[in-house]
Amino acid sequence: MRTFFFWLGFAALAAGSTNQARADKLRIVTTTADLAAIARSVAGDAADVRSVCTGREDPHFIAAKPGFIVQARDADLWIRIGLELEIGWERPILEGSRNTKIRVGAKGHLDASEGLLLLDVPQTQVTRAMGDVHPMGNPHYWLDPLNARRIAGTIAARLAQLAPGHAAAFARNAAAFQQALDERMFGAELVKAVGAEALWAKTQDGTMGTWLSDAANAARAGGWTKAMQPLRGQKIITYHRSWLYLANRFGMSVSGELEPKPGVPPTAAHLTELAENAKSDGVKIILQEPFYSTKAANQLAERSGAHVVVVANSVGGQPEAGDYLTLLDLIVGKLAQK
Amino acid sequence: MHFSRLYGVVLLSLAMTGACGLAADESANTNLLEEVRLLRARLDALEKQLADMTARQAATTTGTILVATASPVASENVVAATQRGMQSFNPDISVIIDTFYHADSTKEGIGHIAGEMSGFGHTHAGGEEHHHHGVEDGFNLRHLELQFSADVDPYFTGSAIAAIDLEGAEMEEAAITTTCLPWGFKVKGGKFFSDFGYINAQHSHQWDFTDRPLIHQLALGEHGLNDKGMQVSWLAPTPFYLLTGLEAFQGDNENMFAYQGEDPLPSRSGPRLGVGWIKFGPNLPGRHALQMGLFGGLGNHQEAHDGQTEYPPGVWTPGGDGIADHWLDGESSFWGGDVVYKYDAPLPCGEGDFVWQAEYFARRKDLEMVGNDFAPALIGKSRVDTQDGYYLQATYGFLPRWRAGVRWEQVGLINASDLPDGTSASYGSSYRAGTMLDFSPSEFSRVRLQANRGSYETEDGREPATEVFLQWMISLGTHGAHNF
Repeated sequence: MRTFFFWLGFAALAAGSTNQARADKLRIVTTTADLAAIARSVAGDAADVRSVCTGREDPHFIAAKPGFIVQARDADLWIRIGLELEIGWERPILEGSRNTKIRVGAKGHLDASEGLLLLDVPQTQVTRAMGDVHPMGNPHYWLDPLNARRIAGTIAARLAQLAPGHAAAFARNAAAFQQALDERMFGAELVKAVGAEALWAKTQDGTMGTWLSDAANAARAGGWTKAMQPLRGQKIITYHRSWLYLANRFGMSVSGELEPKPGVPPTAAHLTELAENAKSDGVKIILQEPFYSTKAANQLAERSGAHVVVVANSVGGQPEAGDYLTLLDLIVGKLAQK
Repeated sequence: MHFSRLYGVVLLSLAMTGACGLAADESANTNLLEEVRLLRARLDALEKQLADMTARQAATTTGTILVATASPVASENVVAATQRGMQSFNPDISVIIDTFYHADSTKEGIGHIAGEMSGFGHTHAGGEEHHHHGVEDGFNLRHLELQFSADVDPYFTGSAIAAIDLEGAEMEEAAITTTCLPWGFKVKGGKFFSDFGYINAQHSHQWDFTDRPLIHQLALGEHGLNDKGMQVSWLAPTPFYLLTGLEAFQGDNENMFAYQGEDPLPSRSGPRLGVGWIKFGPNLPGRHALQMGLFGGLGNHQEAHDGQTEYPPGVWTPGGDGIADHWLDGESSFWGGDVVYKYDAPLPCGEGDFVWQAEYFARRKDLEMVGNDFAPALIGKSRVDTQDGYYLQATYGFLPRWRAGVRWEQVGLINASDLPDGTSASYGSSYRAGTMLDFSPSEFSRVRLQANRGSYETEDGREPATEVFLQWMISLGTHGAHNF
């Protein structure tokens, strides 16, 4: 018993010293790698950022490992996607961590969906017969660059509350991230000429397409907007309803999913139906994440003549996608090739 | 946010006035109706105001870009608040229906064998007979589990779980847990499952096999170690996962920590059982996770046995006559270890996930004969029983939503009794092998086929038995996420 307490004390001391070493830094734990990437851009050197999901796995299905509890125990700020994306594993981690700073409702708990305009918010009564429906809205919002822009602002504001001394730096970092995002989205020249806010407004009210059809405007456009221009107005099919926000921002629409219902794997009958629709809708792209089987997508491609595009939807999901901007570079690049 | 809160208050007061109105007399009713009418008018006004505000804010968000440089979020948060649906303080409620079909190869049923197993057999502890004969051939409704849980206030959470079966309802869990203690401490009180080992604290719908591991069933009974008590646990500030807990229980487990207190058994005040455990989880890279635990418990135990008939006195009849004739009192203890390894594959719907778990459990009952109607010479003599057992099991998700599993169990590797008359007895061990296949159409439903083949050392010799289970369970409502 005495040896046991000796080792326990020793371990506590060891932990204390490691905690000491990074005591001056804020400790941020995010549920997904995308939030971690944005948080890193905003926090700079002032924080140590970790993520529960790596970007290679499906964030719906994560085991609440003891290691995650240890990370959450030491966190000053917990950032989640929300909208019940993490419903299967967040609570055991937060409760297991016994960290009162990051409880739901505390200053150290940030739901990144705050302040975003959400899609797929059910307007009628939902039942689970509809599959894995998220009653508060579609949680795959991080692939919309405008949402990433807003999340950076939300994180900066919360960090400023937690570490007021660094508030100016957080605001500066967030602005730099937003500016970089604006330039990647529209091209530096267009941002300079028209202004980022006006451009984003056009992507929101649906006038971007017409505006770009003016050759003078199109000539100045760069970045993702230019690359995605040929895809504007196209319909695509995706595996899960996880590309909706991205499609929406670039003027595409999602005509169907390989899953017959959210969370339900593809069935033969559903694929037959999809193939018909794909042909009549002129679908050229079937888009999905690497962690889903490509069997159904390939079958549909064969029957409809569309191309299968497999690309990560999360930072770290593929080696090239090291941060948020390179993730979008990767996705846009893959889509624009088709 | 203010509006939704006000709205909630108005609704609440409406509901309350409405509820009170039921009991009130005629004139009060008229007054109440008037009041309700006024409140309703106010509500309508508020609703309109809220709708106007939402519309206004929606207009601003679509028209302009929020977010910018210096103070980017203040205006956005307001938008978020109005977007959200009305929240409520209702507890999370879920219902689990757990039903299965069972068939076995034995004449008297598998429950009978468990009751006759050498060294582990019936103890007739406590005054009342327990009517848990385990599974029946044919259709079984294990139970309907009703779960309620919610944050109570900033300081506590509460959870209540009632298990209802055809014989009545039972309070499976009614626990209050702190959420506000610093330094990694947590206190739990009420009636709950002990957190020792791995499988004891899990509810039956969480198990990877339909039935409880044999050693747990034999040593602790059909409900495991679930008792009224208090638990203090501590998450150590170590770089790895280290959780340790101490529990004090009243001590009324039917098999190991029973209390009767009737003459000639001494009365003992509670708590009569203490349990301690420690769990350790190293930081494995990637998707691997490992947790290891050690545990032990020590408590009082009393047994009332009925082995002889009164007329003619002293004739040994194993079935007894229903009247206790000798009594034992003393201590009972257990110790063991558990290990769980999980590989969490990146694929959806459990495909590629692998779980391996094992537990070892040993127990010792150290009792003294405190009364014997037919052999008074044995009073004061001791009886010591030692038994152990383990199980090993693994499951693998071989397709999305499909899992296969195998389990191997042995009990009675140590299986000995030192009897009050000075003699000793030693019994053989029993084993059981199981295999299962389950399909989970969604997170909320599961169908499972399981087969067991066992060879049991019983008082009537060695008995083989084959069992088949076809289980079907569902979960309704907001069912919380499960722990590791």
